[in-house]
Amino acid sequence: MIVLSENARRSLDDYLRQARAYLRGSKSVDAGEIEQNITEHIENEFEGASEPVSCDELEAVLEKLGDPQQWVPEDELPWWRQIILRVRSGPEDWRLAYVSFGLFVAALAIAPTTPVFLALILASFLASRAAISEAADTKELRAQKWLLYPSLIGVYGFLLLALLTWPLVLMPLGEIYEDRLTRFPGDLRYWVTVISANVAVLGAWWCVLAAVLLKPRKVARVLFGPFAHAFKPKWAFWLLAIGSGVMALSAGVCIMYYRYSA
Amino acid sequence: MNDKFFDNWTNQLRKGMLELCILNDIRDRKMYGYEIVRRLRRIEGLIISEGAIYPILSRLKRQDLVATSIQESSSGPARKYYKLTQRGEQMVSRMNAYWQAISGATDSVEKG
Repeated sequence: MIVLSENARRSLDDYLRQARAYLRGSKSVDAGEIEQNITEHIENEFEGASEPVSCDELEAVLEKLGDPQQWVPEDELPWWRQIILRVRSGPEDWRLAYVSFGLFVAALAIAPTTPVFLALILASFLASRAAISEAADTKELRAQKWLLYPSLIGVYGFLLLALLTWPLVLMPLGEIYEDRLTRFPGDLRYWVTVISANVAVLGAWWCVLAAVLLKPRKVARVLFGPFAHAFKPKWAFWLLAIGSGVMALSAGVCIMYYRYSA
Repeated sequence: MNDKFFDNWTNQLRKGMLELCILNDIRDRKMYGYEIVRRLRRIEGLIISEGAIYPILSRLKRQDLVATSIQESSSGPARKYYKLTQRGEQMVSRMNAYWQAISGATDSVEKG
């Protein structure tokens, strides 16, 4: 392995990230293999050179390698990437960011109480994700983030809340409770046991969620990109600890109250 | 206008020629990627960006025209060698024959 200066290493990482971003999903080539080839090319180019290789020396080699966008014709990319490339030519192109923010504002201003709201928010969300997926790095988006992030935060916030609380929403489904409510309107024992049992299930769900987040973190990264890149495994451990605590406490309350309050 | 036309034309011609040159280059012996780049960069006007050779190699591999093998090198990093497959041999023979025919015919048209 050749030794690169710190700036050269950063420059190479940026270049490889750009290549990866452009070649992603290509039908005709293997992006991972090309990345290996480029690394091998650079190793060969600097074989026997004095180390560490400076940023200028590396830039000269990268310049000869050329812009990754010239390597594969657009028609060899998947259809969805061809569409994105048509509406976004590069990091300096703000069109998708404006579209995303425009749709988000329209959703809030025009149709907050209609189904159109959902459609507009979803369209805004997809435009944001498309713009971000085309960026080699979110840093290159700079101020565009302010236009792209609002819809992402809205959708992810809702998704996260739903993901964390769905057992509470689904379990006490109306009809059963309504029926119980009329039959046991003032039965504290009934209500404490039912609610604590539900909360125990919620705690168990958090444990499952924490286990999922601990292992295949790629799922979280795809679902909640680009924010999930900041995800740390210790957060999953916290969720696991809290989930276990809530589950144990609620199950204890449920059993104790059911047994001894009669 | 004329420049754009010429650029488009050379791009298309170069793309086809680059594939032909790569296949011919590894016809007699296996070569590693950088070695292919180094040999082809000597041909004036053939390569605009050296990196473009790697996606072509990847595509040729997917199409089963070339095969790869990794070999340790005494002087540097392990190298990925490319060689023609049987299918690649047949393809390059056909491509060469076609190229000979078409370049011969083009010459005769040009000379009138």
